[in-house]
Amino acid sequence: MPNTNNTNLKNAIEIRNLNFYYGTFKGLSDVNLNIAENKVTAFIGPSGCGKSTLLRTLNRMYSLYPGQRAEGEIKLYGEDILSKSQDLNLLRAQVGMVFQKPTPFPMSIYDNIAFGVRLYENLSRSDMDDRVEWALTKAAIFNEVKDKLGQSGLSLSGGQQQRLCIARSVAVKPKVILLDEPTSALDPISTAKVEELVSELKADYTVAIVTHNMQQAARVSDFTAYMYLGELIEFGETDQIFMKPTRQETEDYITGRFG
Amino acid sequence: MDKHISSQFDAELAHVSSRVLELGGLVESQIRHAVYSLSQFSTEVANQVIASETNVNAMEIEIDRELSSIIARRQPTARDLRLLIAISKITANLERAGDESEKIARMVNSIINSGNSRALPSSELRIASDLASGLLRKALDAFARLDVTEAVSILKEDDLIDAEFDGFVRKLVTYMMEDPRTISASLDLLFIAKAIERIGDHAKNIAEFIIYVVKGADVRHIALADVESAVQ
Amino acid sequence: MTMIQKMSDTALYRSRQRANLIGLTLSMFAMFLGLAALLWILFVLFSNGFAALDITLFTNDTPAPGSEGGGIRNAIVGSLMIVGLSVLISTPLGVLAGIYLSEYGDTSKTAEFTRNVTDIMLSAPSIVLGLFVYAIAVAPVGHFSGYAGSLALSLIAIPVVMRTTENMLRLVPGSLREAAFALGAPRWKVSLMVTLRAAKSGVITGVLLAVARISGETAPLLFTALNNQFFSTNMEAPMANLPVVIFQFAMSPYQNWIQLAWGAALLITLTVLLLNILARVFFREKVKS
Repeated sequence: MPNTNNTNLKNAIEIRNLNFYYGTFKGLSDVNLNIAENKVTAFIGPSGCGKSTLLRTLNRMYSLYPGQRAEGEIKLYGEDILSKSQDLNLLRAQVGMVFQKPTPFPMSIYDNIAFGVRLYENLSRSDMDDRVEWALTKAAIFNEVKDKLGQSGLSLSGGQQQRLCIARSVAVKPKVILLDEPTSALDPISTAKVEELVSELKADYTVAIVTHNMQQAARVSDFTAYMYLGELIEFGETDQIFMKPTRQETEDYITGRFG
Repeated sequence: MDKHISSQFDAELAHVSSRVLELGGLVESQIRHAVYSLSQFSTEVANQVIASETNVNAMEIEIDRELSSIIARRQPTARDLRLLIAISKITANLERAGDESEKIARMVNSIINSGNSRALPSSELRIASDLASGLLRKALDAFARLDVTEAVSILKEDDLIDAEFDGFVRKLVTYMMEDPRTISASLDLLFIAKAIERIGDHAKNIAEFIIYVVKGADVRHIALADVESAVQ
Repeated sequence: MTMIQKMSDTALYRSRQRANLIGLTLSMFAMFLGLAALLWILFVLFSNGFAALDITLFTNDTPAPGSEGGGIRNAIVGSLMIVGLSVLISTPLGVLAGIYLSEYGDTSKTAEFTRNVTDIMLSAPSIVLGLFVYAIAVAPVGHFSGYAGSLALSLIAIPVVMRTTENMLRLVPGSLREAAFALGAPRWKVSLMVTLRAAKSGVITGVLLAVARISGETAPLLFTALNNQFFSTNMEAPMANLPVVIFQFAMSPYQNWIQLAWGAALLITLTVLLLNILARVFFREKVKS
């Protein structure tokens, strides 16, 4: 049974007996895991192991698609988000997500950030200006765009677009930020900037990141989970996983003997 | 050990491991020659030992450079990382064992030049030195096979060498007390004995790193009983 | 160099070159045929209609049978009003229906049924639609009207707008929608403020193309708006419009009528051409950014 992290850390999310189905295909089998508050938890594993599937259960993104369902329990600060009474929109305002492909909205940079904020908060113009500036600063992109907030979000470079998406997520002040392979489509320098960002974000948010780049997981995360074929094989502190994993499967994967 | 997907990586690891074993063989023969020069009182053999030191130093540098290259390019983790760290430490230990042999050879030359040592108990030194070089051979074998059981038994055997050393010191002290004229030669022999004892220690260190590679447990500076439980 | 030369000497290569030449020739020929037909039409239109192009075309109303001169002012205004109202009706309905089909209905039975019906209407003969509107909006009230004309044209335009809207919306990548949902936006906001905005240029292009289509429809107007010899802005009564004017004037024995018909035809053609070019330019600009 894979070990969960030590108990003197507060858990933002507790996953118990999670099973996931795409129609009749079982995508996740009996996953048990804690995601610690204000820490970065990384999910690694070969393609098709279920790491993205798991991430997308945390904000019920799968509910957009009929035929996909989850069974089990996922508690966000004590509340089970898999229950039928869970308001999905409110949940997603608390658990934000950044995707692999940068997806700026077809609006100005300012409106991109303001869109999410306007959904649930009624801010005056100057308050909104402050919030936009704050979010863009948090995403380490404010200085690059402060003179062109009115320009379309699509006019930015790939790395900038991704940081814009991160700023967009941060602006609504969620509790948890989910990152689904956020740097896969970026060049090495943009990747490094985003990784630096992730380290800074964990001071205020709980971060869960899916990555197929093991070294990235080793660089940015505090805890790492190794998954294979829908199962959680091993979970522990990143140092331990990369220095002395307890499962042979984990070691085979991270040392490149897998396959 | 299973193969990596990258056979190039496997080849690099195999190459650097075999270089370490080569270095080990070189140092081992250095030790044997050093003690042979003592038992035969041959300056010729002693000088050979001193000359081979440059080879040992050159190999140490080359192995370290190869290690840096592998680490930079492969970002090794887990067992691979532990292996590379262990190789670095083992190389350092081997190089120092080589230094000790060189010291022995220099001592031998000095004893021969002073001319007055034939009466001293150098035969016991032979026994201790055989133990030490044998222990080093065992350590290198255990490293080649990454044999943890053998490594633990090496840790135990080093204690024997230490005991031999203590006994030899006591003997020398009696000699020195009986005949003060033998003090300077005795001291030379004492230094040689100390060098042999240190060679045993280096073999022990190598064994500790074998355990580190296989079990991930750092057993340096732990009592032997605790080592056995750490290895389970 | 010699290897490449060797490869180019083989018989295989030469036969490929021959096939290439034949194919190129045939397709160029076909293109020229099509182009020639188009140019011929435009040439005939211009040469016959150009004589009618003066200011009186726009200032005078359609002349009575036998009288001299005249223009088509009433027909121009009438067409603008009928088509304008039709656009006002069909655009919101078509766009909203397209949003439903793409964002809400997706593969549901209702959506599938709607799509089938839309496809039927797209290929329905416009005269049938005209007759239908005659039966429900003209016969009961006893007279033709501009409103009925707009209704008939809307029935043609709505399916077009609906289908292009749905297709353009479907082109928007799912990741953009997911990004909006991930912020906690409800579905209607995602559809209107994100997806529709992303597909904006394509949707507008669809509307422009629908307008171009209905500007030239004649058969439905024959049964609904009919025609009006005089200038009128009363939509409740028969209204003058360009297609029907062409229909009436072209085969008449009066010379000025025939000329006015050519002028009207040229005007319609130029408008449709302009709308198509506009749609194309607009769409390409947005796609580039």
